[in-house]
Amino acid sequence: MLKVLGAVLVCLSSSLAGYELAGALTARVRTLRALLVGLQNLETEIHYGATPLPEALREVAGRCGPPTAALFEAAARYLREPEGYTAAEAWEKAVEGWRGEVCLRTGEAAILNGLGTCLGRSDREDQVKHLRLAREQLALCLARTEEEAARGVRLWIYLGLTAGPALVLLLL
Amino acid sequence: MTNHTAGPGLPGPLLAVLPPNLRRLVAEWPAGLAAQVEEVRVRLARPLMVGLNGRDWFLGPRGELTPAAEEAYTVGADDVARMTQLLCQASLYAVEEELRSGFVTLPGGHRVGFVGRAVLEQGRIRTLKYLSGFNLRVAREVKGAADPVLPFVVDPSRQRVRHTMLVSPPGCGKTTMLRDLVRQLSDGVPALGFPGVTVGLVDERSEIAGCYRGVPQRDVGVRTDVLDGCNKAEGMLLLLRAMAPRVIATDEIGRAEDVAALEEVFHAGVSVLTTVHGASLAELVRRPALGYLLGLRVVERIVFLGRTRGVGTVECIVDGHTLEVLGGARC
Repeated sequence: MLKVLGAVLVCLSSSLAGYELAGALTARVRTLRALLVGLQNLETEIHYGATPLPEALREVAGRCGPPTAALFEAAARYLREPEGYTAAEAWEKAVEGWRGEVCLRTGEAAILNGLGTCLGRSDREDQVKHLRLAREQLALCLARTEEEAARGVRLWIYLGLTAGPALVLLLL
Repeated sequence: MTNHTAGPGLPGPLLAVLPPNLRRLVAEWPAGLAAQVEEVRVRLARPLMVGLNGRDWFLGPRGELTPAAEEAYTVGADDVARMTQLLCQASLYAVEEELRSGFVTLPGGHRVGFVGRAVLEQGRIRTLKYLSGFNLRVAREVKGAADPVLPFVVDPSRQRVRHTMLVSPPGCGKTTMLRDLVRQLSDGVPALGFPGVTVGLVDERSEIAGCYRGVPQRDVGVRTDVLDGCNKAEGMLLLLRAMAPRVIATDEIGRAEDVAALEEVFHAGVSVLTTVHGASLAELVRRPALGYLLGLRVVERIVFLGRTRGVGTVECIVDGHTLEVLGGARC
């Protein structure tokens, strides 16, 4: 009886681990897509509204769902603090806090930080160029992540489902 | 080191644009001298300076005032970078127009002027980059500044305002007097039996009404319509067409197109209040556009301001038609 219970537990946990890893891949795709939409909104705010960054970031945060809203919300909050953070500092702090929450990879964080060094520092046309460049780079990351997800999601699920019974057979 | 009762407290909107390092230096000042601070000058790699009662003081690393530049806090690149960010809310693209004009108006009508490297397009300033010098100017209203000239400006018998030109070198209180004249004419002057009239104010550099997002931050009277940030020539004609003013006021005329627009206004039966840079009538006449304007003999009162008894001293009031001296401290 104990052996059966153990085998069921091993199978269950390996399946859950498989679903978890597959879910992480799907979540990364969703996050990158939402980030691209957020940056598109920021571009609109800057280009058509010339809205100052703190206000523009808050607006964008309002239009994004979680977890992307947290990035823009945090950057807006840092900019409003009396410490006089530059846009680059505020954005970098926001990215640093956010990347842990959404499993952002180093390359993707570097693209965002690169954008941060240019934010607010030039005229509208130039801001649009920087935002578009960042979006194009992130779009490539998204394409790679989608490919990984297309292969990986099934792989992790099947692996999770089969690894448990295989381990049970070995142990018995 | 002086034992001057160290410093003034700066108004909040000006404090908010100072970077933390500089804010710390000025935040501790007692409010005793608050009324005397005229400006704070922040220049990259140079001593931090405060203008008090027409005199320059330097600011030491603990916020103390000193007359010696070598004892002063030296403004660093980080201070300037942060100040630029605070001034434009980290969004240079949102202040493109202000960058072209060289100043930002803050809530309360305070102004921050700045200089840097100009980027030109077809010979005109497109924007400024590498901002390196800032001048934080504290806005103050001096209500009653126009009291000495009002009896000369208002014609009680005909209940009208005379065409008046305020003349002085820079920093002698022209704009302050014009603002108070506008306020009193707009609100009415009971002492002279003058009811208020509608005043149209063209405030090209946001100096008179100190508009922040279109709303006057200084008292310019209840019947005053302010056209903010518009060039004078175009603005005067717009007000004439759109707002039916009895008086049109504007600052610092001098170009031929300003004078051409003024002629239109004179002939439309609207009174004109304006200011001009200059020290004497002879100086004004030598400037082509102003010489032409004075030659028309339409300006009824020319008021010369100076500093002989402090900023805003009315030195001389001249009848524009007869050039007869009517009053003033030096008359």
